[in-house]
Amino acid sequence: MAEMRQRTREDVMLIDDELWEALVERTDGAAALCFQCGVCTATCPWGLVKHKPLNVRNMMHQAQLGLKGEAGGLWLCTTCAQCEALCPRGVDIPQVIRGLRSLAWERRETQPGLPSLLWSIFWNNNPWDQPPSQRAAWAKNVAIPDFDPQVHDVLLYIGCTSSYDQRAQRIAVALTKVLTSAGVEFGFLGDEEPCCGEAALSVGHLDYFKEVAAQTADLFNQRGVTNVVTISPHCYDVFQNHYPEIGQGFKAQHYTQFIASLLEEGRLELHQSLDHPVTFQDPCYLGRINGEYAAPRQILRSIPGVQLLEMELSAQDSLCCGGGGGRMWLETPAGERFSDLRIQQASETGADLLATACPFCVTCLEDSIKSQTSNHLQVLDIAELLASVI
Amino acid sequence: MVASLYSVDQETKSIWVYLEVDEGQLAGVSLELIAKGRQVCDELGWNLAGLLLGSQVTRLANAAIAHGVDQVYLGDDPLLEHFTIEAYSIAAYQAIMSAKPSVFWLGATPDGRDLAGRLAVRLRTGLNADCTDLDLNPENGRLVCEVSGFGGGILALIEMENHRPQMATVRPGVFSIEQADENRTGTLIPINLELSAEQIDTRLIERSTGDQVDLTGVDVLVAGGRGVDGDFGMLAELAQLLGGEIGATRPPVDEGHIERERQIGQTGVVTSPKVAICCGISGAFHFVVGIEKADLVVAINSDPRAPIFDHADYCIVGDVHQVIPALINILSAEQEVSLA
Amino acid sequence: MPELHSVVCVKVVPKPEEIRVDPETKLLVRGNTRSEINPPDMNAMEMALSLKDRYGGQISLLSMGPSFFESNLRVALAMGADHIYLLSDPAFAGADTLATTYTLAQGIRKIGDVDLVLCGEESSDGATGQVPPGLAEWLEVSQLTLLTEVNLDLEQKTARGRREIRGGYEILEVHLPSVVSVKTACNEPRFMDFQLRSWSLEEERVTIWGVQDLEVDPGLIGLPGSPTIVSGLAEAPFRERKREFLQGNPQDIAEQLVPLILKVI
Repeated sequence: MAEMRQRTREDVMLIDDELWEALVERTDGAAALCFQCGVCTATCPWGLVKHKPLNVRNMMHQAQLGLKGEAGGLWLCTTCAQCEALCPRGVDIPQVIRGLRSLAWERRETQPGLPSLLWSIFWNNNPWDQPPSQRAAWAKNVAIPDFDPQVHDVLLYIGCTSSYDQRAQRIAVALTKVLTSAGVEFGFLGDEEPCCGEAALSVGHLDYFKEVAAQTADLFNQRGVTNVVTISPHCYDVFQNHYPEIGQGFKAQHYTQFIASLLEEGRLELHQSLDHPVTFQDPCYLGRINGEYAAPRQILRSIPGVQLLEMELSAQDSLCCGGGGGRMWLETPAGERFSDLRIQQASETGADLLATACPFCVTCLEDSIKSQTSNHLQVLDIAELLASVI
Repeated sequence: MVASLYSVDQETKSIWVYLEVDEGQLAGVSLELIAKGRQVCDELGWNLAGLLLGSQVTRLANAAIAHGVDQVYLGDDPLLEHFTIEAYSIAAYQAIMSAKPSVFWLGATPDGRDLAGRLAVRLRTGLNADCTDLDLNPENGRLVCEVSGFGGGILALIEMENHRPQMATVRPGVFSIEQADENRTGTLIPINLELSAEQIDTRLIERSTGDQVDLTGVDVLVAGGRGVDGDFGMLAELAQLLGGEIGATRPPVDEGHIERERQIGQTGVVTSPKVAICCGISGAFHFVVGIEKADLVVAINSDPRAPIFDHADYCIVGDVHQVIPALINILSAEQEVSLA
Repeated sequence: MPELHSVVCVKVVPKPEEIRVDPETKLLVRGNTRSEINPPDMNAMEMALSLKDRYGGQISLLSMGPSFFESNLRVALAMGADHIYLLSDPAFAGADTLATTYTLAQGIRKIGDVDLVLCGEESSDGATGQVPPGLAEWLEVSQLTLLTEVNLDLEQKTARGRREIRGGYEILEVHLPSVVSVKTACNEPRFMDFQLRSWSLEEERVTIWGVQDLEVDPGLIGLPGSPTIVSGLAEAPFRERKREFLQGNPQDIAEQLVPLILKVI
């Protein structure tokens, strides 16, 4: 039998009751269910790209006991919820991660660049440090009316990324064309469109997120908004799942859900064909986190000529692009990018088009293709595919 | 109404240029201001003088005269060996009050801005900072300064009616240097300096110059992004042939291909070169901010839809690993020809 | 250990890209422009907060402008400043840097017992960078500008600053009280502390002083105190890039490009 080493005072970990209570409060007690099996650590995609996987189990343990977290790992999490999907107890691990992050904010122990991210939302109404007055510049030559509740059934919520990022703007333009051709009565809020606050939530500043959400919900109420269709699944996620906590009263959908219903109602006609083998990247915030796997596939299957080839890891098993959880604002070194793996997986299907339905996925996947010059896969958002065949 | 310490009626019709000493030489910006001053004084029949402070700097006074000043007001004293705001403000103040020039220009360098800002208040006069052009109205002897504001979006013309000296600072590179003429003559006028060590509070603890690169003053910038795959040696060769420096976007810096001091953009260095050559850079907003003041922007990227092309004068859709070597070949050949 | 009392001078500025010039009146149209705290002043604020973390003491915020500045300035209270002083009066309006620095200096004298004044390097609107040295001159104290680091000795009452210039650096020491300016972007301003957030919006921690509250010479404030006159104003011509695509193989392109580059150098 091994000798038991004499335990010294320093070996005893001291549990901070205050910290434990704060964590329980911020995470709604989500960590309580965890029985430390370690499946989360095993399933986390970081294990695919790093020597040492992210010790998710340890973070849950720290949350349960009220211990200070391992700082570096805490900010790697993309909140893809792969762990939660396979957790035998269904622990809301992303919620625990956000709770741990919120405490890190109080201690000013976050990552460089993240305070600036929040300031950007505060001063510029977007996380990209872009001029607020330029939010609608993408729509300069696009026929999209200002939202009028008397006339419009739906508010098209563009979102910060599709408003300002030149690549993502093309998704907004395409979607506008598609909705118009389907005869949908819709409008947008122009440069008064408020930020949904997801970036703040994703980096764990729960209090600031609530402040932004309250302002946005207020403005929506004032403008008579009752139905919102979003471009990004991240915006959809906060409207659907986090705004009700602050008492908002509008209905939210991701655009793929809205278009799937248009197709069912026969309101959208696809005249041309797209003779390509296509594979599909399930965005985490549409698929795994909000359970919507069907709508994007329904759309793809209705495009004439499209041959849908699923990746080996698809739907619930989809690999995250690496952009969620605030990672769009943090650098990931080359060789550690989930999206590098994902495009390899996409290429293996034999498809030449990689469809997705999230501006973050588009950005990360395209970046990876650029860095692998032999790869000729083209990434397109579903809206862009539709716009090319109407 | 605030009154300057001397009025228009008391002024001498002369332009003074602050002769800043940089590493034992006259700063480039001072020579640029001398050239501009000479041109204006010749037109108006005014006098051009230089204000030179330091220790053992008489040879620099001669250099200033060769570049075109008629007089050099010289403060040569051990207490002026290194720039201190206290000693230099006192000396400059005493010199200016002794001669009462109409106009006083300084280079908008870190020390120049400090000195100008302090002196303007001591003299109760106006100061226009970072002027992009200077003009003297021959009818009323008023200095008209062109300045930009609001991030460069607004241009303003500013003057002073009753206050003297009319002060202005100008950034390096706005005006050009004229050739020196060793045959030119001028006079050295020593300043009656009343200065004691007790008046100087600032103590220099440590100084180190020139180790790191200062990209804010480069004429040619060759910047590389993800698309160069870390091959900054190739870019450095091109930069050297053009007499410039290399820079980078954040990803190559993060990946350790190049030092952080060379990161261009919002969180790095904002440059204003004559030419910026952007290689393998997609052109995100936070990078573009670092080169948008360039006179000429060239962009090379394999993606025809890269946003950088919206911010470039000459756009090349191609492989940097082929275009840059081609440029290097032509430039080295031309250099060989000119050296032969 | 003596307490440190810092004053941070802060300006609220319009977002530069929103400013227009009325082509007829030739005046700036500020109208509905959004405002923000001058970004370099946020770096000065962060420097002051970091000094408070290390040395303790109090931070007072000083600003000069119309009363609507107040809501923006309260952000600083949520970051950790202790009190806001806003110099607001029609008599202060129209000031150039000479009058501005005079008025601010009188504000600092009234606040009293100040060890260190911190300013941003320059403002995003005027961008003169003249306030720090001008302020130091009116207050008759020393100055250190473009600092990326500050270290204090409160017993000796000295400040040491690191200034990065000309590709190198200087470390300079002065006696307190002193005025320092902080290099733009040298630090990352901390986000608001939400435990202070609601307090910062409601508490009466804002003092507004008008011309009757300060000891000022009326000839040195506002328009009368401003030697400089704007004789012309225009929107700068928008620098439109050529966006000319060069064609051909790499050799062709290089041959076209070299003379175009050499012409400009």
